[in-house]
Amino acid sequence: MLKRDRWLTWIFVTPAVLLVAVLMYYPMIGTVIESLYSTSFINPTPKFVGLAVYQKIFGSADFAQIVWNSCVWTLAVVVLQNGFGFLCALLLNQKLPGQGLMRSLILLPWVLPGVVAAILWRFMYDPQLGLINSFLISAGFGDQGLAWLADSSTAMAAVVVAAVWKGFPFSTVVFLAALQNVEAEQMEAAKMDGAGSLRRLWHIVLPSMKEVIAINFVLTTILTFNYFDMIWVLTRGGPQNSTHIFPTKIYELGFGQFRFGEAAGYGVVSIVVLALLITLYFLVQRTGRKAQA
Amino acid sequence: MTPSKSSRFLLMALQLGLCVIILLPFFWMVSVSLKPAAEPFAIPARLWPENPTFENYLTAFRPEFRTYFLNSVVVSLSTVVITVTLALFAAYSFTRTQMRLLSLLMVLVIVAQMFPASAIIIPIYKMMKAADLLNTYTSLILAYVTVTLPVAIWMLRGFLARLPVALEEAAAIDGAGPFKIFFLIILPLCKPGIVATAVFVLIVTWQEFLFALSFTSTKEMRTLPVGMNDFIGQYGIRYGELMASSVLISVPVIAVFFLLQRQFVAGLTAGAVKG
Repeated sequence: MLKRDRWLTWIFVTPAVLLVAVLMYYPMIGTVIESLYSTSFINPTPKFVGLAVYQKIFGSADFAQIVWNSCVWTLAVVVLQNGFGFLCALLLNQKLPGQGLMRSLILLPWVLPGVVAAILWRFMYDPQLGLINSFLISAGFGDQGLAWLADSSTAMAAVVVAAVWKGFPFSTVVFLAALQNVEAEQMEAAKMDGAGSLRRLWHIVLPSMKEVIAINFVLTTILTFNYFDMIWVLTRGGPQNSTHIFPTKIYELGFGQFRFGEAAGYGVVSIVVLALLITLYFLVQRTGRKAQA
Repeated sequence: MTPSKSSRFLLMALQLGLCVIILLPFFWMVSVSLKPAAEPFAIPARLWPENPTFENYLTAFRPEFRTYFLNSVVVSLSTVVITVTLALFAAYSFTRTQMRLLSLLMVLVIVAQMFPASAIIIPIYKMMKAADLLNTYTSLILAYVTVTLPVAIWMLRGFLARLPVALEEAAAIDGAGPFKIFFLIILPLCKPGIVATAVFVLIVTWQEFLFALSFTSTKEMRTLPVGMNDFIGQYGIRYGELMASSVLISVPVIAVFFLLQRQFVAGLTAGAVKG
């Protein structure tokens, strides 16, 4: 846009900036204020209680459990999704027949609506009718199906697997694009020098993808920490809180029990966690840019 | 990389394995949706029904499902159109005008998408309630446009930044005004970016769950994901119908995705890889 049209710039950005300010940043302040008041189903009129909500939250066993669950969930999904996603990207980068089709198919789980994916996996895990138990039983592992989602010792692993299945295609596609940017000449030269494929991976491919990998790790951490649909449809945070993470707990406290103050308290904690992650994201991005320069 | 012959076999086996991991759940979804209600589930699972039938689809396509479908279409398409339009204007300004305040605003807008929707759901619900907007398309469209704008701006910015400014300058020297430049030069050149962004926004809004769950309480206003979630409780273990509904919900986005896939993947990875 030319200098004389600068007034237009402001007209062009105003709608977007206004919407994001009013419907995202303003409610964040609202969450902080909300957390200073106490409401419940029995006492629907908000009462100012200061930091009492935080005292209550931090002292409760629920909070410790949810922090722990969120860590396990986020770490497991991010590591598995990106690890598996990277291996798949390496595979799809080979010259093999049918790769064009594979590159199309790979995104299918990611395109599938989250609630549908969750329902599908709920069904896969069904103790009587599910495909997973059916395979296990016919393979000779016991004669009764396991209730994967109803058992607090397996529920978290089950939701993680479902989320990884849904999410790994995204990582694969991003990594694949980065792999295709690795310089062919450099690879050929290394090959001439007798470097095997593992050494080429370690010394050429990985270093040149460092930034993409780091940024994708932080980005998927953020998305996974915030991911509500999968767990809500699969387990609603149960059994016995074993799969409750911040988003599901906030929803249950707020809309299930009308404990808005406590829900907002959890909300504020998750905003703080995200602010830290976002800072990390920018740090990673900046070191990436510096390395490139 | 051209693999040696011996490793080629192994790689193709792995490729086949990956195919199974991706497709088996889909295959099973379709298979169960075609299973007659009377046909029992067996162990080991029968991968394809003995007498496939479309009866589940006929029952799944009940009036309430049609309502949810219509709601989802209205809300998603409106969101796509509004988001892409606003994002295009904003991204154009953000890339073409260098000003410190503007860059700060852009970072704030793009960062907004990273905060969890669940953390703002209560205040935003109260705002919608106060404005008497619960159970309306408006509340959903407003929320969806807001949450998709940051990503859309981020994606389009990548495209716009790569267009040479010289083109616009030349047009300006020839006497073209800013609107003429925008609509006759920028818009056509951005088409791949616009398509990619539109597909992305569609995929996101078509499946949005949290806002729809919170803002709609009447059957008339629910969207497909929330309606599906209701079906679980209502129909217990009538998985045939549930899977038929799942297929019906998934087909539109998957079809759009396949039709526009090339441009979509290019657009998605351009931002992610180039940063």
